[in-house]
Amino acid sequence: MLLCSLILSWSAAASSAPDATGELIAALGRPAPARTAFAEARFMQVLERPLVVSGELAWLGGDTLERHVTRPHEETARIAGGEVTQQRAGKSARSFSLERAPQLRVLVDSFVALLGGDAGRLRKAFAIARRGDAAGAWTLTLTPRDVDVARTVASIRIDGQGREARCMWMQEADGDVAVDLLGPLAARMPDAPTRESLATLCRGG
Amino acid sequence: MRTGVRVALLAAWLLALAGLGWLVVQRLQASSDLRSFMPAPTTPDQRLLMEQVGEGPGSRLLLVALGGKPEATLAGLSRGLVARLSADPRYTQVVNGSFDLGTLDTRLLPYRYLLSPTLDRQPLDEAYLADQLQQRLDDLSSPAASLLEGLLPRDPTLETLALARRWAPPRAPRVREGVWFSPQGEALLLVQTRAAGFDPEAQRQAIAGIEQAFRALPGSAGATLVLSGPGYFSVVASAQTRTQADWIGRISTVGFVLLLLLAYRSVASLLLAALPVASGALAGIAALTLVYPQVHGITLAFGFTLLGVAQEYPIRVLSHRRAGEDAVRSVRDLWPLLLTAIASACIAYLAFYASGVNGLQQLAVFTITGLLAAGFSTRYLLPHLLPAHARDVAGMPWLVRARRFVDRLPRPRWIAPLVAVLAAVLLAIAPGRFWQNDLAALTPLPADLLQRDARLRAALGAPDVRYLLVIEAPTAQGVLERSERLEPQVDALVARGAADAIELPSRYLPSAATQRERQRRLPDRATLERALAQASAGLPFRPDLFAPFVADVEAARTLRPLTPQAFAASPLGQRLAAMLVRREGHWLGLGTVSGLRDVAALRALAQGSGGAVRLLDLKQASESLVAAYRTRILQALAGAALLLVLTISLSLRSLRRAWHVLAPMTLATFLVLAVERVAGVEISLFHLVALILAGGLGLHYALFFERDTGDPAEQRRTLHATLVCVLSALLVFGMLAWASIPVLRAIGLTVSLGVAFHFCLSILMAPHARDGHVVQE
Repeated sequence: MLLCSLILSWSAAASSAPDATGELIAALGRPAPARTAFAEARFMQVLERPLVVSGELAWLGGDTLERHVTRPHEETARIAGGEVTQQRAGKSARSFSLERAPQLRVLVDSFVALLGGDAGRLRKAFAIARRGDAAGAWTLTLTPRDVDVARTVASIRIDGQGREARCMWMQEADGDVAVDLLGPLAARMPDAPTRESLATLCRGG
Repeated sequence: MRTGVRVALLAAWLLALAGLGWLVVQRLQASSDLRSFMPAPTTPDQRLLMEQVGEGPGSRLLLVALGGKPEATLAGLSRGLVARLSADPRYTQVVNGSFDLGTLDTRLLPYRYLLSPTLDRQPLDEAYLADQLQQRLDDLSSPAASLLEGLLPRDPTLETLALARRWAPPRAPRVREGVWFSPQGEALLLVQTRAAGFDPEAQRQAIAGIEQAFRALPGSAGATLVLSGPGYFSVVASAQTRTQADWIGRISTVGFVLLLLLAYRSVASLLLAALPVASGALAGIAALTLVYPQVHGITLAFGFTLLGVAQEYPIRVLSHRRAGEDAVRSVRDLWPLLLTAIASACIAYLAFYASGVNGLQQLAVFTITGLLAAGFSTRYLLPHLLPAHARDVAGMPWLVRARRFVDRLPRPRWIAPLVAVLAAVLLAIAPGRFWQNDLAALTPLPADLLQRDARLRAALGAPDVRYLLVIEAPTAQGVLERSERLEPQVDALVARGAADAIELPSRYLPSAATQRERQRRLPDRATLERALAQASAGLPFRPDLFAPFVADVEAARTLRPLTPQAFAASPLGQRLAAMLVRREGHWLGLGTVSGLRDVAALRALAQGSGGAVRLLDLKQASESLVAAYRTRILQALAGAALLLVLTISLSLRSLRRAWHVLAPMTLATFLVLAVERVAGVEISLFHLVALILAGGLGLHYALFFERDTGDPAEQRRTLHATLVCVLSALLVFGMLAWASIPVLRAIGLTVSLGVAFHFCLSILMAPHARDGHVVQE
């Protein structure tokens, strides 16, 4: 009898952490179409300074994502049906397969699962670690389970507060990082961002 | 004692056959390349045709479509198939649309500035570099960044991508999930086989290899694999022909055995009678293996058909046995006539040897050896084995009545001129063309296969198999230069919609002169570094990021221009090798055409080029080849006919008797031609071969009917033998006449008609049979 209740409480304790993660993910869900402002800083090995663009990200339902950049140039990228189509002002559309860009596939997987509040899908593609503090700030770290994908994308980190995701960090295996400030935070992208200044912003500083 | 000798003889014969069989098994190397059945080409176009038929880029191309699953699954299967087939030496090129820089050897990367036309329009100066760098910066902030980042230090102007676009198929299909897809949602691939296109056996193996590789892929269960292309068609056509020939053959064999049992009521006789033909067949193949290194499959198929004449020899022996007479004596009486028949058939088949075509010469060696072996074993071996006493067929009441009926038939002298005039009139009024020059018409493909081929070909932008642009020059460089000069005109034609795409050799490799000219335009290191520094001022690129680019440009300035030989080592070089071929002392460039709509425009281009380029119509060339082929066979036949007249006249020692043998045979042959022509049949090579076979059979009927023994019983035996022969031939070839495949129908119909006409005419024109009969009565 004692043993039995011990086991029950053990299993309840063991499942409490994933449950909290699941609840958090479910809380992040939004009905499609969901739109949010974004500002992205890309730190790349080939560049001395980060590249900064801003605009609007939209989840149009299913696996369809749209990334509309308004600054510094107009550009729309649409990811749908396994294909990426890029449209730049004054140029003809270009498209390529998602197969050729594992980073984008990871982005679609994580983004769609998060906006859909689909913890199951997220767990299928990633190992998930969650950290949170008493003030309601949290960090989800997603590590790709697919070995091939992990060779290019080391991890995705999402910083948030309460029911809002504030930042998304995509850490590539070669050291490049793309940081997206989401929602109201997008307006606060510094002119010359550094990893440190962005980290502070994302923590709510 | 007598039985002991017979058993020993039979054993020795069977042992000899087994020995021949062993020799055949040891030495026989069958080939299936259809080209050895074509005459030696005489014109340059025909020579090119023969090469293209076997080795041309178009004829070795297989179109592959994978379907029946979601696109993502199919794309995975497509990639898996490419991985497996690329490692297989049976295939020289396997592409599915996935972009792979690996197609350009890394050692060749600095050559990109010499191979791509960018420098012709655009120097590598500051303005160009500034524009390109700004574009790369935009690319880096786009979702495509990860695709380009690795390429950036070495190739900031994306010259490799420009080359990849230039080398992509002229009208590439839609790319989904990274590979080609048809509008119907099938994953598409192009596979080039090493084997020649019209070698059905080698193609069968190549196709089986693709199917096996596909089935071995995980996840292929439930997915469909569809193939098309010349090689696939040749496999389908030969398989269809073989299947139909096989089941018809089985039915007619059963019928044939029943007929002989009915005619002779003796299983022993039947089995023994099979020995001469078996000996002929084995001796024929053995002779082939001794004379030729490789024996053609068609030689054997036709050979066995033509050897059917030999079945008459034992039939004659069986029918002509008299009551109480020993078989050896019956044969001795029959032999002079039988020998004449054998010699005549050999002479007719000799015509094949004189044709000069390798496959037909093999056919002649096979049939002549076979006829002689069958004939002489019928004379010297078979009679000793046959049961000493046999039933005399002459006494059978139905045969007596039949002979009486035949003898009462009117034999007007005007029958010969009447038939001749009738045949001439029929030939004159016959509709359509006399000769069928299109060999493909004899093994037509189901309409749905052809539609599928057209659909896949359009989706893949694969070249048509019929037309080629041929550029000739003394050197490979000369060909490339002419090809380059032609490019603007060809591009204009494509722009005007005359064709979907025209691919010239210079698309893959510019001439050395052009490469040197582009080299001259490349800036030196100092100039390039200065321009690069100015162009990247104010841009966030890391300093020294483009050092690999500067190094490549510097290397490109001093490279020896890329030659076809050096290029051949890379996968794309293989593609070029198929378009640039060496011919005794000069070089040919082969341009392929896809989706041709305006043949006249292409002809005009060729005519306006002053001989620099020709438009080769492979269909026309093949038809002219077939016509030349037929002319040679007809000439050889004319020679054989003369020889035949001589042989018959000498052996019968009378021109008048020779006329009675040869006239019905000749008239019947022309009557068959006339009837088929009036029925709308166009005469092909297969009809000619069948006519010769029928002629050989007809000659036997005429020879035996003409023979005057003055003995009514012997006349009855002749009728019996001839009836058995005619019925068995009608049984075998009449069945073939019902086949749905035209080549089988052509042979079946021609021989059946021939046998019927030969039989009737040789009876009606045998002059004195009735007189002899009446006298004896």
